[in-house]
Amino acid sequence: MSHTLVIIGAGLSGLAAGIRYARFGHKVIILEKHSIAGGLNSYYYRQGMLLETGLHAMTNYAAPEDKAAPLNRLFRQLKLSRRQLATHEQFSSKILFPGNTSLLFSNDFTLLQEEVARLFPRVIDRFNHLVSVVDDYDPFTPKPRISTRQKLDEFLGDRLLIDMLLWPLMVYGNSEEHDMDFSQFVIMFRSIFQEGMFRPAGTVKDFLNVLIDHYKALGGEIRFKTAVESLKLVGTKVLGVYLESGEFMQVDDVISTAGYPATLGFTGDSALAAPYEGQMSFTEMVYFLTPEARHSLQCDQTIIFYNLAEQFDYCRPLQAVNVDCGVICFPGNFKGLPPDDPFQLRVTHPANYSIWQQADAPQYKWMKEEWGARSRRITGEIIGNYEQNIVYQDSFTPVTIEKFTGKAQGAVYGSPVKLKDGRTAYDNLYVAGTDQGYLGIVGAMLSGVTMINHHILDKI
Amino acid sequence: MTREEIKDVVVEIIQDIDEDADMDNLAADQPLRDQLDLDSMDFLDIVMELRKRYKLQIPEADYPELATLDSCVNYLEPLLQAA
Repeated sequence: MSHTLVIIGAGLSGLAAGIRYARFGHKVIILEKHSIAGGLNSYYYRQGMLLETGLHAMTNYAAPEDKAAPLNRLFRQLKLSRRQLATHEQFSSKILFPGNTSLLFSNDFTLLQEEVARLFPRVIDRFNHLVSVVDDYDPFTPKPRISTRQKLDEFLGDRLLIDMLLWPLMVYGNSEEHDMDFSQFVIMFRSIFQEGMFRPAGTVKDFLNVLIDHYKALGGEIRFKTAVESLKLVGTKVLGVYLESGEFMQVDDVISTAGYPATLGFTGDSALAAPYEGQMSFTEMVYFLTPEARHSLQCDQTIIFYNLAEQFDYCRPLQAVNVDCGVICFPGNFKGLPPDDPFQLRVTHPANYSIWQQADAPQYKWMKEEWGARSRRITGEIIGNYEQNIVYQDSFTPVTIEKFTGKAQGAVYGSPVKLKDGRTAYDNLYVAGTDQGYLGIVGAMLSGVTMINHHILDKI
Repeated sequence: MTREEIKDVVVEIIQDIDEDADMDNLAADQPLRDQLDLDSMDFLDIVMELRKRYKLQIPEADYPELATLDSCVNYLEPLLQAA
């Protein structure tokens, strides 16, 4: 008898879960609220140009022959050929702090080690010890939360180095303010510093299409513009899914990738959602620049993680946007790619959801312009002024993120409290994706795979 | 199935999981995990494939029996006698 699985959301965790399950010949349906897939990592069109959301750089780079690496394990689990995925590695990236203190890193981890030795010679032995601890640590076995800041104070004892190491890791996936869980730190340290950044050869749309085609070829079904209204429950069991269209579907298991707060909405438990609503959201500006800007700007890095504040703190800012820290990304700066046309620049800053959410339409428009101008002044001091080179610009805010991804309060990295085993209060309802705990594209996809492996496969 | 046939099936399943697996130089009495760089997720795929092909339910407690190619054959021989 066929065992029916419904997956809510066609983001990367949902698609990966769908592929994994479809491989074994049982019925699986992915329900996606929007007309296209991808969730946080998707795309839209402006001026006839495809613009990507989310994907600037993928973490967890691994060469195809490194079989134990998460990226390659993921591809084996999905029965996708890693050799057919053409990848482009980053040039190098820079962490920039006050006093022009900067650390470079690339996909060759020894660069970061040399940089730490150069800038922090007194703590290089301590840093290398930290690396050996990270190497031996098992971050995937659930354990009580350990404060990363406390651990790093013990291991390194140097506030500037600690903040410099934490900023890229936090901005690439920390849902918690100020600090992060040490297991999460280990995962992020490996993904970004030890494995590294890359992007696939095509656009995020191409990547999504590879996944969707593979899923369909395995017999999986996907429905777009199909929003879930609620779940039909009896006791602690989910019997089916009510769609907003009024349609009802019977299910054996449900995996929700909509985020835990939205999932609690489906079960009528919204009152319990508050602790799972993340505070960290971002605003992002996308620029198309004239070709001349390639010569006038300092654009030799792939990403610049800058912080200009004397006291670095990763948190929801008091103002609409915090331009004192940010991420400057040149999405064309990957090895082996032709120069991007148009020449693109992306700038991301922490932002305050409530302020954006409360603004009325004219205020919202004014805030976008004003904060864009402030952002360009500060980032222009770092890479050179680009105001006069702008051909086209677009931006999105925490409100845009909430609208298009369903993430409560635009919290791209989801809940600060993770449901590491994916279980909910209902026996056959599981969560996958950012609120289960894995982050980044590779992490989200591994989350989908792992939830299938742990909870669904032994039922078929 | 004969022992030789069972061995061929296991080899085929592993090759299907990992296109680069070097099966020619495999020592049948040594752990597959170390020789092929396989992890627990890959072992789960061997189990799932056996389930799909022969309706075999291998309990998790028995997974260690699949450690080497020889031990796989020893374990599967009585189970696949009729197959």
